[in-house]
Amino acid sequence: MNENDARRLFPQRLETDAESVERDLFKLVLTIIELVRQLMEKQALRRVDEGDLTDEQIEGLGTGLMHLEQAMDDLKSRYDLTTADLNIDLGPLGPLLSE
Amino acid sequence: MTETGRYLYAIARGLDPQALTDVPALAGGHLEVVEHRGLGAVVSSVDLDEYGEEGLRRNLENLPWLEEVARGHDTVVQATATQAPTAPLRLATICLDDDGVRERLDAWHDALEQVLDRVEGRMEWSVKVYARPRPAPAAEATRPAASGAAYLQRKKAETEARQADESSTAMIADEVHESLAARSVAGRRLPPQDPRLTGRSERMLHNGAYLVEVDEGVAFSALVDELATAHPEVVIEVHGPWPPYSFATLEQT
Amino acid sequence: MTSTAPETRTRTHAESRAERLPEIALVDLLDRLLGTGVVLAGDVVISLAGVDLVQVRLHALITSIRSDMVEPR
Repeated sequence: MNENDARRLFPQRLETDAESVERDLFKLVLTIIELVRQLMEKQALRRVDEGDLTDEQIEGLGTGLMHLEQAMDDLKSRYDLTTADLNIDLGPLGPLLSE
Repeated sequence: MTETGRYLYAIARGLDPQALTDVPALAGGHLEVVEHRGLGAVVSSVDLDEYGEEGLRRNLENLPWLEEVARGHDTVVQATATQAPTAPLRLATICLDDDGVRERLDAWHDALEQVLDRVEGRMEWSVKVYARPRPAPAAEATRPAASGAAYLQRKKAETEARQADESSTAMIADEVHESLAARSVAGRRLPPQDPRLTGRSERMLHNGAYLVEVDEGVAFSALVDELATAHPEVVIEVHGPWPPYSFATLEQT
Repeated sequence: MTSTAPETRTRTHAESRAERLPEIALVDLLDRLLGTGVVLAGDVVISLAGVDLVQVRLHALITSIRSDMVEPR
C-alpha cells in the first residue's frame, strides 16, 4: 500500500509530524494484515472441517498460520500495539476485527 | 445586527413560566414560554449565525460546541420536566420568531398531546448490558503449539468457545430486555455505543431505554439488581431517572 | 400530577439550581438529542464507502499472500 492510497483512506486526520505519519501508516497496514490473518485462519479451519485436505496440507497450513501469527506479534510489539489498538469501529457494522 | 431566531428546548403542559426564571439558557439568552392551545414551548433567542442552517452545519461537527449546547439544552429540559409533563425536543429546533413557534405548536398539537399523555408521571431509565472481559488465556494456551495441526486444533477450540460465549450472552441480553420491558410502560432498544465514546472496552450487548412510572423507580432498580445477580456472566448498569427523551422526541419537519 | 416523589413537588429557585437530576453521560445525551447512534470517525477515517475501498485492496492482498503460503512445502 503506497502513501497515496493511505491518504485517500484517512483524508483529514493525517498528522504533520513525520513520526506519527509513519506510525499511523504502520497501524493501518498492520490492521489490514491482521484482518487478512484472521480471515485466512477462519478459511483454513473451514477447509480442515470439510475434510478434503491431506495431513501434509493441514500441517503446512497450520505451521504457516502459526508463523504468521508470530510475525504479527513481533510487528505489533515493535510499535507497542495490541490487537485492540488496531481495531477499527465500522459503526453499524461493528468492529473490523473480531477479537 | 445579526438575525435571531427562537431555539425550542421542549414543550410542556401546565407549565408555570416563573418556574424557569433562574434556569440558564443557551448563548446567555433568557428562557421564555410561548403558549398556544394549552401547550407551552420553552424557548430562548439565539443568533442565526451560530444556529441557522449554515452555522449548524459547521457547529454540529465541532465536538466542544456540541457538548456545550447538548448540556445547556439538557439543563433546560430537566428543569422543565421537574415542573410539568414535558416533551423534549431534539437538538437545534429553531423557529424564526414566536409566530413560527405557535405555528409549530399548532401543527404538532395532537401528536404532542399524545406524547404528553404517554410521559406524564413517568421517567426514562437507561439499562446497558456489557459482556464481561474475557479472562486471559492460561499459560499452556500461549506456549507455541507442538505442530501445525495442533495449532489449528487450538484455534478451532478457541473459536468455538468464543462463539458459544457470544450466543449465550446475546440470549441473556434478550432476556434482560424482555424482563425489563414487561415491568415498564414501554421499552426501546437503542443502538450499541462506540467504545471510544463510552470509554468502556467491554462489548456492549444491549442499550435499552425504559419508560417507568415515577413511583415505580425503586422497584425498577431492584429488578435490575435481581437480573444482575441472576446473570453474573454479564455486567448490567442502570442510570436514571432521566426526562423521557427516548419516548417523547418529535421529528422536525 | 398527584405523585409525592421529590421530583414533582414545587421547588424554590435556590433548590432548582442546587438539586440536579442524575447527570447523563454525554454519549447518552447526544444519542438522544441527535436522534441517531453517535458514530465517531476516529484516527483512521474509513467511511462506509471507504470500507469497499479497503475490501478491494484486501482482495489483491489476499490473492498474493495465498499463493505464497498455501503451496505445500
